[in-house]
Amino acid sequence: MVLAIVMENLKVGYIIEDEVFWAVKGVDLVVEEGTTLCIIGESGCGKSTLASAITGILPPYALTDGKLKLYDRIVISGQLRNYSDVRGKITAYIPQNPGTSLNPFLTVEDHFYYVLKSNFKSSRDFSKKIAIEILSKVNLNSSVLEKYPHELSGGMQQRVVIALALATNAQILVADEPTSFIDAYLRLQIIELLGRLQRELKKTLIVITHDLLTTSIICDYIAIMYAGKVVEIGPREKVLRNPRHPYTKMLLETTPILGAKKQLKPIPGEPPSLSKEYQACLFLDRCPYKNRECHSDPQVQVIENSHYSKCWKAREAPWL
Amino acid sequence: MAMKTTDHIIKLENVTVGYLATPPGIKSLIRTRYIVLKNINLRVSRSERVTIVGGSGSGKTTLLRVILGLLKPFTGRVFIHEYDIYRLPWRERVKILRKIGYVPQDPFKSLNPMLRVRDILREPLEARGIRKYEESKIRSLVKLVGLPENVLEMYPEELSGGMRQRALIARALVSEPEVLILDEPTSALDVSVQAQIINLINEIYEKFKPAILLVTHDLSIAQYIADRIVVIENKEIVEEGPVDVVLNNPQSHFMKMAISSYKGSIDRLE
Repeated sequence: MVLAIVMENLKVGYIIEDEVFWAVKGVDLVVEEGTTLCIIGESGCGKSTLASAITGILPPYALTDGKLKLYDRIVISGQLRNYSDVRGKITAYIPQNPGTSLNPFLTVEDHFYYVLKSNFKSSRDFSKKIAIEILSKVNLNSSVLEKYPHELSGGMQQRVVIALALATNAQILVADEPTSFIDAYLRLQIIELLGRLQRELKKTLIVITHDLLTTSIICDYIAIMYAGKVVEIGPREKVLRNPRHPYTKMLLETTPILGAKKQLKPIPGEPPSLSKEYQACLFLDRCPYKNRECHSDPQVQVIENSHYSKCWKAREAPWL
Repeated sequence: MAMKTTDHIIKLENVTVGYLATPPGIKSLIRTRYIVLKNINLRVSRSERVTIVGGSGSGKTTLLRVILGLLKPFTGRVFIHEYDIYRLPWRERVKILRKIGYVPQDPFKSLNPMLRVRDILREPLEARGIRKYEESKIRSLVKLVGLPENVLEMYPEELSGGMRQRALIARALVSEPEVLILDEPTSALDVSVQAQIINLINEIYEKFKPAILLVTHDLSIAQYIADRIVVIENKEIVEEGPVDVVLNNPQSHFMKMAISSYKGSIDRLE
């Protein structure tokens, strides 16, 4: 078993008006090579920061602590960061909004040329050859090479962005909300495309999303993030069918499903401030199942093989 | 002179609308009509909840601009109650349009960052010439949309996405509209906040019974808010009917695609 990503108490934060906000508050996570992990959570829970840490696009002013290892390369060790020969070669990023991520002054062919030139000093002819090959994998033909981003539909732009991420043959792909800017009826197509490419090319795929329903269908594992911490992780079916954290259960109940007109139960309250350190469970204020022991930070509970939860009541799970 | 019509709150008759654009090159001397929607016939009755669905760029927001009196159609007529709004003088038209409350798409760009929430809520009243407003009315409105009272002293940047959306809904309600128009009210929000806003819209409907015109591309939201679905595709209304009928027996290409996409997701999960 080869481990593609190993995180040990990883913390990532920012200083805002002399206060430190830890967006990622100590995450321990292991991702096996060739698997797909879906990281799900509300806005501001730290999922995009975690994605940036894996891809190596954290801003220079970000603070780090703990350890992040990508294959045999330690990229974060305490405050030290070293991503040389990692970005583009080991990790590639599929950004959130394809419309604003592509340069409006460059054709699709130019995009491929600059990506491949900066990573491998490739010539224009070689990059064109690679581009045609990769575009066919995302079901686009070579005619899009001459087009500018505004000449492509949203779905086509998303395919081009995926193709660009594949162009350097990086082993770890990180897709940040790959479906949030495209129409509902195109989401399944794009997600299935990502899933097919991951299987065929044997990539390690990390998908960041809050779209629990559509996006998670291609994932082997789901990690639920809340206020900078992973509160539950496990195989997709176990997490969706047998959620062992009340937050996971409440997220499922709040998701509208077409055809099943169930009553939507919103999660009351707001997530806690990221600038404070808490001794208690982070979900305490919003949890309907809280009791006295929830005032201390919950230990990781092992439910069964590779299914973990950070809740004192994970084993009894009164919400099931 | 305004034209008389029946008792529908909103009625569009053979509306064709688009934008005038200047093509490049020698043809730039001629302004060309780019048609976005053609031959649109739509009626919204009192207390009816209608959802307009369609893909990106299908003209949903353009249709709202026409109803809001912001974009004059090339041909056709637009009635609010018995008034053909584009044949009214501007001042008269504005008076009629006050019957409509509008919640725009993006809560992060739709609130004036220089104003406190109190002033944001006062603006529609001041535009109507109501200088002396009742403080208790503003407070009860804020409470109704589920915001704490101290939010009145805050600026938009101090509010979360869900709170901004609630403030926008409160602003739309302040002039006691007969029609509430919502343009993708949950597309910029998290799934947990999305459920809160869907429930809030339904609570408002139960309390005031306004007609609701919702624009969305997400069918799972449409089923919670609408009585009737109108589908726009290729510049035209291609399908129309009660929610259950359209969802269970879709006829248009868009609806078939959208429903199969959802069902595909659910089947894969099961």
